[in-house]
Amino acid sequence: MPTITIDGNKIDFSQGQTIIEVARAAGIEIPHFCWHPKLSVSGNCRVCLVEIEKMPKLAISCATIASDGMVVHTNSPKTLEARNAVMEFILINHPLDCPICDEAGECKLQEYAFAHSRGESRFDEIKNRKEKRVQLGPRIKFDGERCISCSRCIRFSDEIAKSNQLTFTNRGDKVTISTFPGESFDNPYTLNTTDICPVGALTNEDFRFKSRVWEMSSTKSVCVGCARGCNSEIWVRNNEVLRLTPRLNEEVNSYWMCDKGRLETFKHINAEDRISGTYIRKAGQLQKVEWKEALDVAAKSLRENKSNEIGFVGSALASCEDNYVLLKLAKQMNINITAFTNHIVTGDQDQILIREDKTPNSLGAELIGLNSNGVDLIYRMIKDGKLKALIIVEEDLGSLSEDWEQALGQLDLLIVTSTNSNKTTALADIVFPASTYAEKHGTFVNFQGRVQRIMPAVATEEEDRALDGMSMSRWDKFGTKFDRWMQGRKVDAKPSWKILSLLAAYLGIKMKFDMAEQVFEEISNTIDAFRGLDYDVIGELGAKVKINEKIKI
Amino acid sequence: MTLLETIIISLIKIVLIVVLLLLSVAYMVYFERKVSAWIQNRKGPNRVGWFGLLQPFADVFKLLFKEDIVPDKANKTLHTLAPFIALFVAFSTYAVIPIGPPVEILGYKINLVVADVNIGILWVLALTSLGVYGITFAGWSSGSKHSLLGGIRSSAQMISYEVSMGFSIAGVLLLSQSLQPMKIVQAQYGWMWNAVVQPIGFITFVVSAFAETNRLPFDLPEAEPELVGGYHTEYSSFKFAGFFLAEYANMIVASMVIVTLYLGGWQIPYIDKLGLNNNLTVLLQIGAFLLKTAFILFFFLWVRWSIPRFRYDQLMNLGWKVMFPLSLLNIVWVAVLIMIFGL
Amino acid sequence: MTEKKRIKNLSLMERIYIPEIAKGMWLTLKTMFKPSVTLQYPEVKFEPTGSYRGRPVLVKDQNEVERCVACGLCARVCPALAIEVQASETELEKERYPQKFEINMLRCIFCGLCEEVCPEEAIVMSKDYELVFSNRDDAIFGKDKLLVPVENLKERLDFLRKFKG
Repeated sequence: MPTITIDGNKIDFSQGQTIIEVARAAGIEIPHFCWHPKLSVSGNCRVCLVEIEKMPKLAISCATIASDGMVVHTNSPKTLEARNAVMEFILINHPLDCPICDEAGECKLQEYAFAHSRGESRFDEIKNRKEKRVQLGPRIKFDGERCISCSRCIRFSDEIAKSNQLTFTNRGDKVTISTFPGESFDNPYTLNTTDICPVGALTNEDFRFKSRVWEMSSTKSVCVGCARGCNSEIWVRNNEVLRLTPRLNEEVNSYWMCDKGRLETFKHINAEDRISGTYIRKAGQLQKVEWKEALDVAAKSLRENKSNEIGFVGSALASCEDNYVLLKLAKQMNINITAFTNHIVTGDQDQILIREDKTPNSLGAELIGLNSNGVDLIYRMIKDGKLKALIIVEEDLGSLSEDWEQALGQLDLLIVTSTNSNKTTALADIVFPASTYAEKHGTFVNFQGRVQRIMPAVATEEEDRALDGMSMSRWDKFGTKFDRWMQGRKVDAKPSWKILSLLAAYLGIKMKFDMAEQVFEEISNTIDAFRGLDYDVIGELGAKVKINEKIKI
Repeated sequence: MTLLETIIISLIKIVLIVVLLLLSVAYMVYFERKVSAWIQNRKGPNRVGWFGLLQPFADVFKLLFKEDIVPDKANKTLHTLAPFIALFVAFSTYAVIPIGPPVEILGYKINLVVADVNIGILWVLALTSLGVYGITFAGWSSGSKHSLLGGIRSSAQMISYEVSMGFSIAGVLLLSQSLQPMKIVQAQYGWMWNAVVQPIGFITFVVSAFAETNRLPFDLPEAEPELVGGYHTEYSSFKFAGFFLAEYANMIVASMVIVTLYLGGWQIPYIDKLGLNNNLTVLLQIGAFLLKTAFILFFFLWVRWSIPRFRYDQLMNLGWKVMFPLSLLNIVWVAVLIMIFGL
Repeated sequence: MTEKKRIKNLSLMERIYIPEIAKGMWLTLKTMFKPSVTLQYPEVKFEPTGSYRGRPVLVKDQNEVERCVACGLCARVCPALAIEVQASETELEKERYPQKFEINMLRCIFCGLCEEVCPEEAIVMSKDYELVFSNRDDAIFGKDKLLVPVENLKERLDFLRKFKG
């Protein structure tokens, strides 16, 4: 195997790797702006210059292929001098507006200016003025002055999003980024450019000025927008989700995430229509009652129905744990009518990330043992009057069609666990508040058969950031209950599996689960596909389930 | 004099003494605050009444209207009893202190002392020893570690300093050959004040008196920074006022004892040589006594606001290794004086 | 027991204590006759100089707009976490303004770090030292209480330019 020496370390590499890749694999960070592991090499920022022995000039490490016996210095005086000079050049026209800039705190330029630059500018002239606040696309604002022309966004739109929408215009120090006149930067992946932009030139319209990055806590999670299950991070301040960002997972989503998943999968968590506390229909109206009373009434009304008149509906939006407990409860009550429904938008998919199946856990629900075709049977049984009672977990059947709405109205008893108010909860007799994916532990199985974990990022009333080991920002760590920034809304909700096991207790059925982990342990012990897995094995990046031939993907 | 007359006269004396004493205690507090203010370049109380003269009454009313808090773990009986012991001891000591020579009013020959007993000095010593009980009870019965430490310190401190105090007094007694305060005062005729004759005894007695009254630099039983309030941490309202009064009453009594024993009592040197009217002389002498007492009181305050508190081990060192030998030395000194000059 | 080590060995005169005590008492006696420095507070008020660190305030420029751009540095540097800022977008050239700027005066320790870190000279320590409130909610000063016209803060701003660059 060929070896290369970087800063005195002998490193093995495979033929064709560039110096920056080799160094990175060995844990040596060479500063870079324009280079990105998933994009082509453009070599225009020049900050990754390194000294290579026996080469007359410094070479950019991103475009120099490593060869056997090369001796590279990333911290030699010559390299440092060149790096500082490049930094000074880049900073000539970069405005000193870090206080205003949203990127501050996660800005590559800021970090390198702190670590590598000479600290002071010798440039006395007036800085270039360029267009600011350009609406580049429906979700992106562009600040021309901050741009350091690294071309990452252009390469992204060409190579990853394959939409060829961005380009450089003008020359020299007037160079700026724009779309074709009259066109808009509107492909489904535009917001990834805000992540890869090394400065704050491209900003997320939705998150703009919402919060400084250091004020938020971040929690590793999974996007629930489609069956891809992109690995994501949930950024929370004052118990409110402010943004989602993609998290690197080469098996699933690499560095990327679609705009829809990023913008539309968290708004409901803090929405006004979140259900908080339990509700019972009294005299035609849903009224808030204590958990105890709601569970009591639910158990009593379930007992009044014969077991062949009760149906259970799980959900591909709920976690494996939720569906498993639902199914277990059904089995214990001798109920055979169980089902869940898929949400497939035919045609809405591409070769990059987006999938037709718009739920995160349809495969998981199927593996647990729910039947995706069962809802049609349930519909017919309700219409025929054979089914009198229904328990629905986190599924909005009422919004599927008007027929469904009508059918749900015919039921004697409708028990629903739901995160937000919807048509189904409006028809329900008993409503339990379910935690969202950002408020509980659990697992989703994506379309590839990959089990991935979700973790609580937002605290519900029963959770405490510190005691439950949730990620905490500085504000969370030092705040008291008297601080306004600690008084963000906490919803009185529980994960569906917990609600169902509480209900089981009221029905006199033994089902002792305190933590989602215990539920998953039982899943892995009883269901073959999950055998050998636990939360530690799944870890941050997920693990494959063993899928047998019966289940079609 | 009949028995009835004696009783009536004694009662009048007692009432007078108690009332005057309470008043002077009140103004002692006021004066203390003023002196501390002056020493610290401040103004002191100046809001209530003219120059803040009504401040003591405001303080008293405030204390009386406060809630009386007794800790759950306190021994209720002793907790209540303690301040009364302290007060009783402080006030009874006055009984034997003469504030002037005998006078004739309305044909009665009256001693300006409540009880001119021949064991007066023993009475003083006995009562100061009893004073420990008030503080120790308070410390123990409060059921608090701060109070307990304060109480223990206090008893140890008082017992230690009582020794050197007693030996200092022995010097005085050698000279006057009597335990009767009146006689001791009369023995200091002219400039033969004991402070002049036996200065070492005077110093040891004054230092011991500071320690006995728990005043700075020896206020370890209270020691706010370490013991919060010492033995009276758990006291409030009227009971606290009791300790407060007792402390200042003790100060006044200590000053009077110092004046009586060492500064010639009510004596003004050679005033009888001036041939003044007898009644005027007595008035002047009473005035002299009060003035001397006032100076010693001021000295108490002055020391308090000048000198920092001793550490506990330093206090014990001083008591046993310095004050005790010095007071013994004083006795030898007096004995030598008597041998040489036949005083 | 080991010999105690002193910084300085005391001379005999010092070890007797009495002369030293007399010296100290003489000093306090002299002090008794010096004039007092007390200000009769409600009637006579303390007039601080520019270097005084009273309650922090936001500078309102002549154009009636706060200088603050809601960068959040003051909130980050505040050791007592007294400051909370919520930014928002404005049409003005500065792009960003504090939609909400709250200082919890129960948390504020008047250290002046917010003033020191501010890139816009937008938050400064005023001379205001009379801070009274009777409940926790009143202790949280919002923009209504924090904004002070720049003319009223001239002395402090001059002081900052002169001594802090």
